[in-house]
Amino acid sequence: MTSDNERKKRAKEALNKPARYGSDLDLEEFEYPESDIAELESLDEISSTEKQLLESVGIDPEQNRAAGAFIQLDNEAFLADVMIKQEGLEIMPLSQARQKYDWVENYLWNAVPVDTDKFTARSELEVYEGYFIRALPGVKITAPVQSCLLLKKSKSVQNVHNLIIAEEGSEMHIITGCAAPSSVERSLHLGISEFYIKRNAKLSFTMVHNWSEKTLIRPRSAAIVDENGIFVSNYVILSPLRSIQTFPRVRLVGLYAKTELNSVVNGVGESEYDIGGAVSLEARRATGKVVSRSIATDKAHIIARGDLVGLNEDTKARLECDGLLLSSQASIRAIPMLDARVEGAELSHEATVGKVGAEQLNYLMSRGLGKEEATSLIVSGFMKLEVPDLPPILQRSIEEAIELSLKGGM
Amino acid sequence: MTLLEVRDLRVEVAGIPIIGGLDLGFDTGKAYAILGPNGSGKSTLAKTIMGLPEYVVKGGDIQFEGESILNKSITERAKMGIAYAFQTPPAIPGIRLEDFICKICPDYACKGEDDMFMTNGCVCKDTLYDDFERLGIANLAKRDLNDGFSGGELKRSELFQVLSMRPKIMFLDEPDSGLDYDSLKIVGRELKAIRDEGRTTMVIISHHRYILEFLEIDKLFILKSGRLVYTGDMSDIPVLEEKGYEKFLEGVLPA
Ligand SMILES: Nc1ncnc2c1ncn2[C@@H]1O[C@H](COP(=O)(O)OP(=O)(O)OP(=O)(O)O)[C@@H](O)[C@H]1O
Ligand SMILES: [Mg+2]
Repeated sequence: MTSDNERKKRAKEALNKPARYGSDLDLEEFEYPESDIAELESLDEISSTEKQLLESVGIDPEQNRAAGAFIQLDNEAFLADVMIKQEGLEIMPLSQARQKYDWVENYLWNAVPVDTDKFTARSELEVYEGYFIRALPGVKITAPVQSCLLLKKSKSVQNVHNLIIAEEGSEMHIITGCAAPSSVERSLHLGISEFYIKRNAKLSFTMVHNWSEKTLIRPRSAAIVDENGIFVSNYVILSPLRSIQTFPRVRLVGLYAKTELNSVVNGVGESEYDIGGAVSLEARRATGKVVSRSIATDKAHIIARGDLVGLNEDTKARLECDGLLLSSQASIRAIPMLDARVEGAELSHEATVGKVGAEQLNYLMSRGLGKEEATSLIVSGFMKLEVPDLPPILQRSIEEAIELSLKGGM
Repeated sequence: MTLLEVRDLRVEVAGIPIIGGLDLGFDTGKAYAILGPNGSGKSTLAKTIMGLPEYVVKGGDIQFEGESILNKSITERAKMGIAYAFQTPPAIPGIRLEDFICKICPDYACKGEDDMFMTNGCVCKDTLYDDFERLGIANLAKRDLNDGFSGGELKRSELFQVLSMRPKIMFLDEPDSGLDYDSLKIVGRELKAIRDEGRTTMVIISHHRYILEFLEIDKLFILKSGRLVYTGDMSDIPVLEEKGYEKFLEGVLPA
């Protein structure tokens, strides 16, 4: 295919293009997947340690509350499963979807330009696999769809490309967990995710991560939201890692398109986090919200970015960036960016970074709480994230994961 | 019996002397009013007794049940039975008022899986919700602590929290400011019931007569510029309201 050649050419030209943010990586130091992925027949082929990892990110492969599930182990094997009674939901590896539907090519590298940086370029030029999840027009899938990527191999790259499509008038809630066991040595998770939210569709995407201390994570995600569509993203990182840099971009291209990007980071160990989100308000009446909550303990370093770009009149977006510093050796930098290109684009932001307030602390102590208890209450309250557009079951699993990590870490 | 006693107390805030040599005593089960013009040091006194660290004791002593508490932390003082309802409490996002009340009240408390967090499965005694209703703030139960509460709601939430602690002595910092007529009655009735029980010492900082008269307070103190300038009782209140502090004090103080 010519488009394919064209794409490869653009990728090759971008092979040395550094990422806009985050520390640079030498992509030659890793091994890349070689062969195509194999399909697992059933859950029995997943080991019990792998199952435990899945549970640590809120995914229970045995439970039947989910509408469907996709599990991928490195780039080697996958399991795709749709509950029989769930109509209108498609889950399969991307490679299968490309064989099944010609039009899939039009979606690949459409939201995320292939020449964004060396990571996207390299991803295209190596063997990649990932999930294809699609809600058919008008189908409302209320039970969450689960997906999970396990990274187990040392010194290698998990090269993932995901495609998520919510067709016109559909509703879908995906919870995805990414995890790596602590034995993994310096591996790279390269994840391209492209989201398409069609007219009147609603998609929520909740990620809970449990990486290991030595993993490097460079996701490249983007969403395109059509008229009256809603895209909600919840990005929750609770475990140590070497470094992560992500800056998903949501383009609101249809009238009344709406997005909410939430991130919660519990920065621990010597991890480096560079997390952000950009909302591009391209159509009238588009609205967006970027909320970032981070706490930094130990020697964690967090950069929280937010970028709002107002390209059309009658648009509105807000950025809330709050950081709580719990260690004198940790750091949090909030970097809000507001860029209104036209009149009538209403962009606002609020950013706070600081230690636990003495006033709050003294107040709680005056009610009989000890200093530690008061501090942890303030911290857990600070990390509580309420997402109105999320089903209660997902809201609860986020809360539980956060509380668990706070208890473990303090 | 004297429950709490302040002796020749001198307090500085940010290096500025605010209270300069104050002697006061509060007896068990009695009700007191602390009055005085704005900025006279009423809140400062209460916060110093609570042990808030900005309020630095430069001299004198504070004794509770016959023992100095100057070296005690805020938590320790609270646990001993001293409570303070803030004039302007801070908001604490992410903590529901009902969960917090359960946490601080020995009667409501229920054990979650651990003491750190109120878990979803932890349900407080039904009486908690009756109390919310009676105070007219049932709408606040599931809201975050002081977050976006109106002026009158803040006052009742503070009162509810302090009462929940079952303290021996409570300092209520303007519990009646910003309340509408109905709320004022609610607060009055609530305090009256506690006064009638006679176990809790009440110290009410106020600029209004309604609650003080409704409770029939035993004693009133007037502070001015960080000093005690007058000690009286209920009968002074109408005169005080008519004349204002300046004239009232001119009349009673030696020139
Ligand atoms: N934290 C602080 N920092 C600086 N000044 C303070 C602080 N707290 C109190 N002060 C000052 O101390 C003085 C006494 O204040 P305080 O709040 O005790 O007055 P008050 O009698 O409670 O007045 P009001 O009736 O207006 O509440 C005031 O001049 C006030 O500005
Ligand atoms: Mg005051």
